[in-house]
Amino acid sequence: MFANARQSISDWIFRAKVPESPPVTLVQRRIFVLPTRQGYLFALVLLVLLLASINYTLSLGFLLTFLLAAMGSVSMLHTWRNLAHLKLRPGRCDPVFAGDTAHFNVVLEAPKRQRYAVALRRREGDPVFVDVQETEHAVASLPVPALRRGRLRCGRLEIFTRYPVGLFHAWSYVDFGLVAIVYPRPDPTAGLPPQQSLSGDDEGIPVKGDEEFSVLRAYNPGDAPKLIAWKALARGDDLLTKEFQATASAELWLDWIDARAPDPEARLSVLAHWVIETERLGQSYGLRLPGVSIPPGRGDAHRARCLEALALHGEDGAP
Amino acid sequence: MSGALPNAALDVRNVMWLLASMAFVVAPHLLRQPEWVGAFFAAVVSWRAWIAWRAARNPPRWLVLVLTVAAVAATLFVYRRLTGREAGTTLLVLMAGMKLLEMKTSREVVLSIHLGFVLVMTNFLFSQSIPLGFYMLACVWLFVATLVGYHRGVGRTPTVRERLVPAGILLVQAVPLMLVFFLLFPRVQGPLWAIPQDSRAGQTGLSDTMTPGSIAQVIQSEAVAFRVQFEASIPPYSLLYWRGPVLWRFDGRTWRIPDANAPGTLEYTRAERPVRYAVTVEPHNKHWLFALDVPAELPPMSHVRQDLQILSVRPVTTRIRYELTSYLDYRYEQGLNRGYRRLALSFNENRNPRTVALGRQWAAESSSPAEIVNRGLRYLNTQFTYTLEPPLLTSDDPYDEFLFEVKRGFCEHYAGSFALLMRAAGIPARVVTGYQGGEVNPISLELIVRQADAHAWVEVWMDDRGWVRVDPTAVVMPSRIDNGINAALGPIGVIPSLIAADRFGVLAKVSFAWDALNSQWNQWVLGYNVDRQRQFLSKLGLELNDWKKLALWLVAATIAVGGLVGLGLVLRDLPTRREPSVVAWDRFCRKLAAAGLARMPWEGPMDYLARIEAARPAAAAEAREITRRYVEARYGDGLSKAATRELLARVRRFRPAQVPGGLRT
Repeated sequence: MFANARQSISDWIFRAKVPESPPVTLVQRRIFVLPTRQGYLFALVLLVLLLASINYTLSLGFLLTFLLAAMGSVSMLHTWRNLAHLKLRPGRCDPVFAGDTAHFNVVLEAPKRQRYAVALRRREGDPVFVDVQETEHAVASLPVPALRRGRLRCGRLEIFTRYPVGLFHAWSYVDFGLVAIVYPRPDPTAGLPPQQSLSGDDEGIPVKGDEEFSVLRAYNPGDAPKLIAWKALARGDDLLTKEFQATASAELWLDWIDARAPDPEARLSVLAHWVIETERLGQSYGLRLPGVSIPPGRGDAHRARCLEALALHGEDGAP
Repeated sequence: MSGALPNAALDVRNVMWLLASMAFVVAPHLLRQPEWVGAFFAAVVSWRAWIAWRAARNPPRWLVLVLTVAAVAATLFVYRRLTGREAGTTLLVLMAGMKLLEMKTSREVVLSIHLGFVLVMTNFLFSQSIPLGFYMLACVWLFVATLVGYHRGVGRTPTVRERLVPAGILLVQAVPLMLVFFLLFPRVQGPLWAIPQDSRAGQTGLSDTMTPGSIAQVIQSEAVAFRVQFEASIPPYSLLYWRGPVLWRFDGRTWRIPDANAPGTLEYTRAERPVRYAVTVEPHNKHWLFALDVPAELPPMSHVRQDLQILSVRPVTTRIRYELTSYLDYRYEQGLNRGYRRLALSFNENRNPRTVALGRQWAAESSSPAEIVNRGLRYLNTQFTYTLEPPLLTSDDPYDEFLFEVKRGFCEHYAGSFALLMRAAGIPARVVTGYQGGEVNPISLELIVRQADAHAWVEVWMDDRGWVRVDPTAVVMPSRIDNGINAALGPIGVIPSLIAADRFGVLAKVSFAWDALNSQWNQWVLGYNVDRQRQFLSKLGLELNDWKKLALWLVAATIAVGGLVGLGLVLRDLPTRREPSVVAWDRFCRKLAAAGLARMPWEGPMDYLARIEAARPAAAAEAREITRRYVEARYGDGLSKAATRELLARVRRFRPAQVPGGLRT
C-alpha cells in the first residue's frame, strides 16, 4: 500500500526529463524518505514503552523510550545521507541473445563518504545491493531477462536504501535510457549456410583474418581480447594486437532469402545461427537483409555488427 | 560488489548477534527467576544457534506450539497467574525464546529485536540502579548493532566494527534529543492502570506493628531507607529521631497503630531550633513519610495524624523527595482527649502480670509521674544488656520473660516493656517507631539513614509538659543514640565489616563516593517526576498545565537540537578541498574529453592510458608520465609535495591534439 502511494507521489513530483545526461548527482530535492513497515512497527513499540514508563514511573524507561525515539529520528537522516550526493553514471550494457539475461550496469560514485547497501531496481524486479567505497566506483549490475530480440530498454530505475536500521526508506529515481541490444536467438537446427554465394574470383587473395599469425600491431579499442599479445604485455611491451593472415578461401553471403523459415523472426534466428557458425569456421562472410547489406568481413567486431543488424531488423532506427 | 537481495535472516553471524543480544538482555532476569526458566532459555538459544550454524531446519510448527503451551502452563503453575511483574516477565522471556526458535524471515528477526527493546524495559521494573542502567545501555547498543548488521549485508557479513560503530554513532547522536524529550516531555503521574501487587515485593522496612524481634530483623538490612540533605549543619546525633508509625494498641505481645486516628494539627506550645532539610525516601510501599521530631509543616500531598504521624496520600511506590522544617526543641500538648487517653493507658490485664505489678508498685511508691519515669529508666539501667541477637521470647507473657528472666534485648524490647510499665503505672504512653541517627556521607554531606538505623522509643504524657520522648534504649546503651548503630553493635554483615575495618581508608571513601553518586542519580535521573518537572519548567517560566505552550517548547527544542545534530551531519557533506592529485587527474580527463577522447566511467587509469596511447601517439609520452604519477599518488605510496606540484604543472601544460572525426572505438 505504501509502495503504491509512494510510487504515485513520486511519479507526480519527480518528472525529470528522460533520459538524463550523466552523471546524475542525487541532490537533496531528488531524494524522498518515508518510514518502512518496520518503522511503523517500531513507533508502535515506542508507544508501548512510553505507556509502561508512565504507568510504572520508570525514569530509566523514559530514558530508554526517548533514546530509541531519538535514535530512530537520527537514523532517518543517516538513511537520507546514504543516498545524498551519490553520483550515478550509466555503465556498459553488453548485447545478449534472446532468452539470455541482459545486465544493465550503473556506475555509482560516492564523494566524501562510503555508502552501504545501496539498492537499485527496476519497477518490477528484485533489487541489487552495492556498497560504494569512497575512492572507488561501484557497479550495480541489474539482471533482466531478455525475452525477445531488439532493443531492451531498462526504463526508470529506483535507487533506494534502508541503511542503517531499516526504519526508513530513502529513494530516488533515475533514467539514463539504458538500452541493451538483444540478438535473435540462434536456431541450432538451421545447419550450415548454403554455399551458393561462393565466388571464386577472390580466391588466393589474403584477407585480414585470424588464422595464421602474421604481425603485431598497436592495440585498437574494440580488438578482441583473445587477439591481444598477452605475452608481449607481460614482457613489458605496450598493448599489442596479434594480426593474423587468413587465406580467404571463399566469401560467403548470408542472405535473408536463403534462410528458409516460416516467419521473419525464425529467419532472423536462422541467420543468427549462420553468422555464429560461419565466424566460428573462420570464413569471411557478408550479410544481406531487406534494406541492409553488410560487406564481407571477419572478426568479433564484424560479427557483432551483423548480429546487431539482425537484432534491430525492422525496428526504428535500424542500420 | 553487487549481490542479489540478501537473505540476511539466515546468515549465521547475524543470527548469532541476535542470540547474543537476547542472552545479554535476558541474563539479569534469569538471575531472578526460577532455574527452569534459565534452562529453557539457554536450551532454546543453543538450539537456534545450532540451526543457524548447521543451516538445519527450524523445528516443526506443532513442536513450537507444544513448547509454547508448555511454557505458558509452567508459568501459570509456578505463579498461579500470567500477569504481574514476575509472572509477566517470565512469560515474556519464554516467548522471546520461542520467537527466536521459529524465526525464519527478516521480518521475524526485526520483531525479535523489538521484543528485545521491551525486555530491556522489563529489567527496569526490578532495578533502576546505575550499573543496570549502563548494562542495559550496552544491550540497546548490541540490539541496534544487530539491526545495522541486518541492513548492512551485501553478500558478505559485516565485521564487528561495521556493526558497532554505526550503531554507536546513532546512539551518541540520539543523546541530545533524548535529553530534550526527557526534560520537556510532559510527565503524567502514574499509574495509568493497576500496578500488579507484586511489583514492589521484597522490600524491607518498618511495619505498622511491633513485636519483640521485629525491628531486629529490619536492622539486618543495609538498604537505604532515606537520605537527608540539611540546609545548614547536621544537628547532634542524639536529636536525630525520625518519626515513623506510632503504635498505641497493645494486646500483651504486639504493638499496633490505632484503628481510628484523628487528623492532627502542627501546633506547638513551644517551637524552637528550627532545622530545614530535604528528605529523599526510598519506596517502601506504605503511606508514611519520615520527619525529624517534630515537623513544622507537611510535605505536599500528605496529611498528619493527631500523634504526629505523617501519611502520604498515595503509597510511596516511587522514590520521592520533599523539603521540610522541623523544630528540635518543642512542646506538643495536643491530641489526648478522653478516648485517646484510654487507649494510651490500655493493656491486657491477663498478660505480663509481673510487669504490670511492677508498674503499679512504682505508681504506689512515687509522688509524681516524672519520678515514675525516672524510676523506670533507672530500673532498665541496672542489669540489662543490649544485643542485636536476643533470645526468642516464646511465652505468652513476653515482657515478663524479658524483664525478669532474659534481660537481654534490643530497642523494641526496651520500648515495649517501658511503655507497658508506664501504662501500668497510670502514665499514658505510646511506642514510636522510626529511625534514629544515620550516617554522614563526607563527600555529599548527606545523612544516609539505613534500615539498620530502625529504632523504637516511647512517648509518655505528662500533664504539665505534654508528650515527652523517652528513649529507654539510650539508658541501656547510650552509644547507640550518640554514635549510631554501628558504634553500638559493631559492624553488621560482611561488607559493612570490611568497610568498618578501614573506617577512614580507601573502602570507606569508595563506598561513600558510590553512595553520593547514587544519591545524585536518584535525585536527578530517577527522581525526575511530575513535581521535579514542574520545578524545572517553572524555572523556564512554563506551566506544566499549559500544554499548548509546553508542546510548542517541546517542538521548538526538538527542532533546535535535532537541527544542530542534522546540521553537523550535513556540513560534513559539503565539498571540501579535494586531493591535488585528483584535481589534476580530473583536469587531465577534461582536457582529453574536450579533444574527443573522454574517459569511460568504468575505465581505470591504466586502461584509459592504453586508449590514449593508441589514439594519440603524439601525446602518449606526456600522458604516460601524468598517469604514472596519478596512479602512484592514488594507489601507490603517494607523492611528495614537489612531485604533486610537478603533476599539476604537467597537466597544465598538457595539450592533446584534436582529432577530426572524434573518438573512434
